[in-house]
Amino acid sequence: MAEILLSGLRKRLGGAEVLHGVNLEVAAGDLVGLVGPDGAGKTTLLRCIAGLYRPDGGTVEPGNEGQLRLGFAQQGFHLYAELTVAENIAFLGAVYGLDRESLAARAEELLAFAGLGAHRDRPAGELSGGMQQKLTLVCSLLHGPAILLLDEPTTGVDPLSRREFWELIERLHLDGATILLASAYFDEVERCERVVYLDEGRVVAQGTPEQLRGEHASLEAAFLATMA
Amino acid sequence: MALVRKEFLQLRRDRRTLGLIVGMPVVLLLVFGYAASFDVKHIRAELVAHDSPVLRRTLALGGAFTVASAVAPDVAAAREDLKRGTTLVAVLVDAQGRPVGALVDGSQLLAASTALRELQRLSAGANSVRPLPILTLYNPGLRSADYMVPGLIGFLLVQVGVMITALGVVRERERGTLEQLMITPLSRLELMLGKIIPYLAIAFLDLVLILAVGLLVFSVPLRGSVPLLLVLTALFLASTLAIGLLVSTVAQNQQQALQTAMFIIIPQILLSGFVFPLASIPWGVRWISYALPLTYFLPIVRGIFLKGSTIADLWLQVSVLAGMAVFFVALATSRFSKQLG
Repeated sequence: MAEILLSGLRKRLGGAEVLHGVNLEVAAGDLVGLVGPDGAGKTTLLRCIAGLYRPDGGTVEPGNEGQLRLGFAQQGFHLYAELTVAENIAFLGAVYGLDRESLAARAEELLAFAGLGAHRDRPAGELSGGMQQKLTLVCSLLHGPAILLLDEPTTGVDPLSRREFWELIERLHLDGATILLASAYFDEVERCERVVYLDEGRVVAQGTPEQLRGEHASLEAAFLATMA
Repeated sequence: MALVRKEFLQLRRDRRTLGLIVGMPVVLLLVFGYAASFDVKHIRAELVAHDSPVLRRTLALGGAFTVASAVAPDVAAAREDLKRGTTLVAVLVDAQGRPVGALVDGSQLLAASTALRELQRLSAGANSVRPLPILTLYNPGLRSADYMVPGLIGFLLVQVGVMITALGVVRERERGTLEQLMITPLSRLELMLGKIIPYLAIAFLDLVLILAVGLLVFSVPLRGSVPLLLVLTALFLASTLAIGLLVSTVAQNQQQALQTAMFIIIPQILLSGFVFPLASIPWGVRWISYALPLTYFLPIVRGIFLKGSTIADLWLQVSVLAGMAVFFVALATSRFSKQLG
């Protein structure tokens, strides 16, 4: 069963068409990597799925109606810098309608999962880039979403934090979450079960990393060869 | 030099800010030039007990007064008209058509001062044996504090309502935290109310502080009902907060929000009757006054403070204010989107 289903998705921003009729299907429990150069339309596509953008054509599921089923860790830091880690979690938990007990239990579980337990009383703005990304992930998981959208979650993060972050993603995947992860780095999406290559608002290729790699040493080498 | 060039380039690209920077002084100059007048003309007056065409002509001479065509039957009726604000001056006329006394609404400080001066001039010109007895109601000493402090409540609430709300929402958008809220199941109404309610609480705290300082430090009389004042203040705040939200939907950043808010706040100070009486503002700009919520709130707050006005005295202003609140809240709600595009 498809958890994410895009059919002929079109989106215009600032007078220019950014997505040109994208078709995409992500099945329940899949870990799919969305890769492409800067400006390919990855963020726009994720925002359409999350309901932040209204499509100009085609259909999107879940879109605006599925916000309870969906967790979206957006690119960059979108939490409250003045609030502590615990306060940010408490606020967003309340927004998602979690009662006090469930929220406390969920927050403990997720803080331990992300290794942020020792930092619960630190203002979010004082955390390192990697920790902020983990906090963003924690907040997007609070309501136990079935679908997780991750927009370049490791950009600007040091290699160690990046590795830790990927361990978290793989654990979420093993727990059965449907994950669509956008990245500009081929080596990252090689960890996914399926890779979708987006360029200039169009799906150029998709398949397993092995299929897309072919005889080349890496996905990046395969795509560079295609471009040449 | 490179920095100067860069600033100009940025300004040129930010058309909205540039428009506000260039346009605002021109608009303010026009508004100031027209509105900033302490010469009050056409003060609303009525005759009491008897009509007198000669007295009408004398009062209207030089444009100081505009005399109502209807004559109030007695002093009690004239007092009612003064309390409702339908007239500012009531001249008691004897059977021979001579003025024998006058009542002046002191809650309108500048208009009342001008009215007193004109009535005394009229009395001296009539070569009467004794000067015309004039009773100034509601603010007998024509104290500035009694006039200004209730007005300040309106002014400060406009500031909190428009500026702080607009900045609060735009700051959230600039930092990207609004995007985080947009992907939650919060409805548009919940999102709006969540942003408005804290500022409503702050505005009410401001109101309590101004009330306390006004009553205790400046000894301004509060003759009307406090619950009525609070309810009607909440109505006024609904329109100002909605205007604040509207500003946040057009401003892209805090600088634009601040400038747009100033663009809305300054006319409210100059054209609402807060400083200059409406009667002194020419019709060329007075129509703007009638589009401003503060124009309707000032008679309410001054009426409750100084005249002990009730809802029956203020129904017209309350109706217009309620209509404005509904209009601005509906407009802000329709423009306040939970989507980025």
